[in-house]
Amino acid sequence: MEFTMKKPPIISNQQRSYKRSLSLHISLIIVSLTAIFTRAFIAVPEGESWVPDQMFKTFLMLFTGALVSVLIELVYSISEGTSQEFSEYRRLVDPINTGLLIALLLPTSTPMYVLILAVAVGVYVGKIVFGGYGYYIFNPALVGVLFATISFATQIEYGDTPLVLLKQAIEGQSYNFELIDLVLGNYVAVAIGSTSVIVLGGVFIYLSITRVIDLRLSGTFVLAILIISAIVGFVNFGGAMWNYVFVNMITGLTMFGAVFLVAETVSSPTSREAKLIYAVVIAIMTMMVRILGTEVEGVVFAVLLGNMLAPFLNRTVTRSNKKLFIQTSVILAVVVLLTGFVLGFILQGRLIEAFDAMIQWGGMIA
Amino acid sequence: MITEYRQYLDPKKVWIPLTDGTFKLASVQVEQDDAVTAGQIVAYKYSGKLKTPVLASITGTVVGFEERLDRFNKYVDHIVIERSDSNQMITHEGLDDDVPAAIIRQRIEDCGLRQFNVDGLYTDIAFERPIKHILVNAIYANEPFISTDYDFVKQHAELIADGIKLLQHAAHAETATLIVDKYMDEQTLEALGKATVDKGIEVVQVNTKHVNGWDYRIAKQLVGETISPNLIDNQILYTSAYAAKHIHDAVRNGRPLIERQVAITGDALRVNVLYDVRLGTRLEDLVDDLGGYDDGGTYMCHVGSFLSGEQVAADSFSVTATVDTIDVSAYRQEPEEVCIKCGECNDICPAGILPQNIMDAELRNVNARIVDLHTDECIECGLCSYVCPSKINVLEWVRRAKRRVG
Ligand code: SF4
Ligand code: SF4
Repeated sequence: MEFTMKKPPIISNQQRSYKRSLSLHISLIIVSLTAIFTRAFIAVPEGESWVPDQMFKTFLMLFTGALVSVLIELVYSISEGTSQEFSEYRRLVDPINTGLLIALLLPTSTPMYVLILAVAVGVYVGKIVFGGYGYYIFNPALVGVLFATISFATQIEYGDTPLVLLKQAIEGQSYNFELIDLVLGNYVAVAIGSTSVIVLGGVFIYLSITRVIDLRLSGTFVLAILIISAIVGFVNFGGAMWNYVFVNMITGLTMFGAVFLVAETVSSPTSREAKLIYAVVIAIMTMMVRILGTEVEGVVFAVLLGNMLAPFLNRTVTRSNKKLFIQTSVILAVVVLLTGFVLGFILQGRLIEAFDAMIQWGGMIA
Repeated sequence: MITEYRQYLDPKKVWIPLTDGTFKLASVQVEQDDAVTAGQIVAYKYSGKLKTPVLASITGTVVGFEERLDRFNKYVDHIVIERSDSNQMITHEGLDDDVPAAIIRQRIEDCGLRQFNVDGLYTDIAFERPIKHILVNAIYANEPFISTDYDFVKQHAELIADGIKLLQHAAHAETATLIVDKYMDEQTLEALGKATVDKGIEVVQVNTKHVNGWDYRIAKQLVGETISPNLIDNQILYTSAYAAKHIHDAVRNGRPLIERQVAITGDALRVNVLYDVRLGTRLEDLVDDLGGYDDGGTYMCHVGSFLSGEQVAADSFSVTATVDTIDVSAYRQEPEEVCIKCGECNDICPAGILPQNIMDAELRNVNARIVDLHTDECIECGLCSYVCPSKINVLEWVRRAKRRVG
């Protein structure tokens, strides 16, 4: 009998990081399966391919993504001499998650070699170089996706997504969105995984309960998008604003981002205040890219920008208390409202007009 | 689960440490082979100008002095006393009704009650500096079997309330607050309520199912300012209901502190018990009394609260007034995972600092940042380690950071 001075972990708290990765893992698998099955009823451009083809391609992409990711980590750990860890499934969970995420974020038209390159870049440059899970600064999946979309822009093609149509709508053309189609995910989307908002909503709830998702991140993000798009919609469409809000909320990676990207813990800040700021910055960037940019599906860029800011945010906040938390929330709420109006007027090209009006108004008071 | 109540009041020998964490010097008042009586002063220990007595806990002969491991896992000098048959004890005069403050203070000192609880936020029972608030905790919980047994509190509710009043009077304190658990059984709550109702003691209920630093929060509410790691700085005297009961005994019955109740738990032991123990009894003797360990394995021995207590390297230390719980469990390895930066440690920290960021700064050796992050405000409550889903001992990192800049 002997006594050890090794500090035992406190076990009565049931939370475990591994359990959280596992919940995320399960969710990603569910979303992947949904992605495969939704292909069955998404109309494909005539003559290009047929449905089973699309389904198989989706499956192949997801499978390859996960496989390549695992292989890269395995090869690296062999060179490090830690490969025996891979005999346990728990060591596979995170690589598979990254691989699936990358595949889910690309369109079905992606050539396989682009996917493989994207995963290689994401896992190696985005993760392993920084020291692996827990140490990276940028979300590895997004690094891979960004690499693919920038380097192989012409190979990755897709039709007009609802957000593109929406942008055109604001410029004067008119479209009819079928509500049911949008909800079920029956539309052209950039990412294969982003379509079914019902499944994503379910996953969102499940992950919030298992505490994988921090609502101060995802909740704030969703709320900010909602508010900004409502204001932009109101400025531009008046009464018909809800359609605008609706399309913004349920398409274009908004939900996918809220579930899998914004709340990714390692690359997000750690204190309450910084989390709020982070989520709002991402929401504003997303909406800005959607409204002003050409790349309408801006979540990927926005989250990467947020990742970039996270270390800075971490450094700015040095303590955390109720007062500071409330202050931050109030300031952020004002920022969100302002952004909504500014973006709304920019979209209308009426910013100058509004500015003039304000000056006149000011003159009247004076 | 605690299944038994036992007594161990007649040890053959006791080993009493002469110094402790704060009182680091001692001057011995007796010599080898001297006869001593329980309650007699055998030494004084010093911390700066302060001195406090060390009492013999049994009647017998001083058989020697030994350097041994104490409950703080340090090697310090102990006095060894062998019991003679007599059950004598030195008692002081019992004081009834209104006792002048100065006399209560003196009595607390004489009866060896200055240091009773040392875990977490607890303070010494000391009156050198002004005290405005008396805070008394009637709750204790210990990992891994959250063992709570409130018989002691229930039986002695009146005496505890009286002890609190005596404390308040001795300190000329404005308020007296008793912290109780929402999940205490009806009778205990009722007994405490009855005992305190006409004494002007405020009773605060907390929910112990939420481990969130409730005592810190209550203390903060009392003074309405950020509190320091030592509550005496904020004019709060914080101790346990056990201490209050012993203060009652010391003042009203003149009984010196020579025994106390200790909860001994853990899966390494055959039975888990509440023990009335003579101070100075070694843990190994108690374990023998309990029938030894369950099987030969690797154990860990933890004294005090699981969040902020002390881990000790052997079972040879003796029980002192500051030992309230001892847990001896088989060592369960659980892999520490990497920090996933979930920020839960930051959220829970009752001091409002950011342990994750401090840990990060400590890992990267940036002293300026450690200072910026108010590391010195950490009260070492251990909640950050408790909530961490990666099972990282965050507190240990914060301690290291503190030492580095402190
Ligand atoms: S840093 Fe940890 S131990 Fe220190 S006060 Fe905060 S939660 Fe408690
Ligand atoms: S609770 Fe643990 S895993 Fe989470 S941020 Fe703190 S140290 Fe990291």
